[in-house]
Amino acid sequence: MYKTRLVLQHEVRTILTSKSFLFSVFGIPLIGAILFGLASLLNQDTRASSVVNVLLNNPNQKQANGYIDQSGLIQNLPENLPPHALIAYPDETAARQAAAAGEIDGFYLIPRDYLQTGRLTYVTTDYSPLRDRSSSWLIEHVLRLNLLGSDAQLAARVAVPLNVELKPLAPDTQRDDDNPLTFFLPYSVAIAFYIVILSAASLLLSSIANEKETRVIEMLMSSVTPLQLLTGKIIGLGIVGLLQTAVWLSISYVLMRLSGSAFELPQAFQLPISFFVWGGIFFLFGYAVYASLMAGLGALVPNLREAHQATTIVVAPLIVPLVFIMILIKEPNGVVAVALSLFPLTAPVAMMTRLAAANNIAWWQPAAAVVLLAITTVLIVRAVARMFRAQILLSGQTFKTKLFFRALFGKN
Amino acid sequence: MNAVEVSHITKTFGALKAVDDVSFAVEQGAIFGLLGPNGAGKTTTIRIMLDIFRPDTGTTQILGGAMSEAKKERIGYMPEERGLYQDISLERCLLYLASLKGVSSNEARCRAQNYLERFDLLSHKRKKVKELSKGMQQKAQIIATMLHEPELLIVDEPFSGLDPVNTQMVKDLLREQRQKGVTILLCSHQMHQVEELCDRLVLIDHGKVMLYGPLEQIRRQYAGNAILLKTNGEIPPLPGVIESVSQNSLTRLALANGANPQDILQTLVMQGVIVEQFEIALPTLDEIFIQVVSGKGKIL
Repeated sequence: MYKTRLVLQHEVRTILTSKSFLFSVFGIPLIGAILFGLASLLNQDTRASSVVNVLLNNPNQKQANGYIDQSGLIQNLPENLPPHALIAYPDETAARQAAAAGEIDGFYLIPRDYLQTGRLTYVTTDYSPLRDRSSSWLIEHVLRLNLLGSDAQLAARVAVPLNVELKPLAPDTQRDDDNPLTFFLPYSVAIAFYIVILSAASLLLSSIANEKETRVIEMLMSSVTPLQLLTGKIIGLGIVGLLQTAVWLSISYVLMRLSGSAFELPQAFQLPISFFVWGGIFFLFGYAVYASLMAGLGALVPNLREAHQATTIVVAPLIVPLVFIMILIKEPNGVVAVALSLFPLTAPVAMMTRLAAANNIAWWQPAAAVVLLAITTVLIVRAVARMFRAQILLSGQTFKTKLFFRALFGKN
Repeated sequence: MNAVEVSHITKTFGALKAVDDVSFAVEQGAIFGLLGPNGAGKTTTIRIMLDIFRPDTGTTQILGGAMSEAKKERIGYMPEERGLYQDISLERCLLYLASLKGVSSNEARCRAQNYLERFDLLSHKRKKVKELSKGMQQKAQIIATMLHEPELLIVDEPFSGLDPVNTQMVKDLLREQRQKGVTILLCSHQMHQVEELCDRLVLIDHGKVMLYGPLEQIRRQYAGNAILLKTNGEIPPLPGVIESVSQNSLTRLALANGANPQDILQTLVMQGVIVEQFEIALPTLDEIFIQVVSGKGKIL
């Protein structure tokens, strides 16, 4: 047990300090966060500046505009207005000269009868038929402020008079087929389970193949038994997989909080606590099965390159639920869906997809799937432990699919 | 007392009999040579000794009994196919391998410091192993084998990839270990190194023991009837000498069957020849190895 713990600690430490792992855990969410943050910043002034507007406009432009106020309305400019963003000109001639000199992109002409008609003219040096109306957000903001007697708070309220929070009188528990969530919620669950199980199990394959390739395995064999090595790796890398999932979930949650959003699904799409309990159980057994299979694969392949080529054999059953995803979502209680969610190798992804797709799955079905998966886990771990023998680990022969299945079924 | 006793072990892989009724013993505190050409069964024999492989038949006794988990911590093994983690620092790699041998972190760090200093690797301890040169990695491998201060050291080709200075350093280290009472089982193709270090040896070919015993005894056993001679002048015709061949500054005289080297020496003296060097010509281990492996030797 002591040596298993040493192997476990080594695996966890090695993975946690590897650059590629740190990038996948923190780098990818960070990139997502940056994109998310940028989108949020743009959304803060949705009336003022849309993404389309930003894309259409040249970022190198000064974005300076002028105005000629013939109505005498504008008395004050907003305090936080960037300098030279909006420049007052006494007459049209002066404004035209400034535009021709490139000092401003264009200018607004606010006529005397503005209060009666609401009309104004924008004269620009760069006419674009695709120019979004929202590009006039600044002058709109200035006019609104002055129309309201320079009361900034009132102007802000008039700009966004509503912040509606919807509360249904009687919660609708029936999912609407036209709602995109009907597809995307179970689809996201399927993809998430596929990625989490596969990425955690793949760590095991890489770890063993790497030790074989660098010949460390023989040094290890003189200190620990193959079973101690296998157990330490499965538990250690499982912890890493869970940690990675937890970090991803935490970062997603923090990002949503920072953006002022909350992950609140409509009543009909809310996932019960039992979903998360089943999720934990199916992850653990799913990981144990696939990590063991990957370990068996790692024991047979001579190097990392062949390891990655051979992965398809093991990953194939995990992909099957994704192939049948539409059936799983549209007919979660159909024959195909039930069969896939009971078959142990497809159960983790298929059953969780069904549980996310419908809230009327008979309780005995996930229970039966877990029992079958648990039995399979025991059988596969035993089979792989047999494969995980020094003789196989120390051999350097080329990988053959037939050899893998023969070894798995104890026929070599 | 023997540190290792291998008794009639046999191991078959499919149709290949890798080890065929091999027996030998290694005395405690000795440096013992395990020799053989590629594919002779040396590595399989070692793996059986270490309980990595189970023999089909036969038994092994290591450090006074059957191999056990606890005994693994008393043995240092450097395999022929070297292996260190490439993507972690040298120090971490050494400490992890030592921890698997039951050495505490602090103790291992302290010992590693000494060994790294001795092998001129101290300034490289924070570098990733893959950043080290081949020779440095070889020295690191030797340190990893010795860091837990084993009682039995099994080293397979320890001099491979080392320059003369480092070769000498490793030789000194092995001698030092022997003086401390460590038993060393040395596998090498470099016969002059084995000759220099080993007291006894076993030579395996095609899984079978071809030679076994004290080095000197084996050399005498394979000695032809010949002498090496150095005189101050020309060597006169001598009775019983059938061939005379110059070997560097010496002359090798092959004697006829029944001719006695002492009679040759006496004749030379009586003829007034000044004899500067006279010795029985013993074959080198290289010569014996080739002779035995090519099938011209005596099979024990």
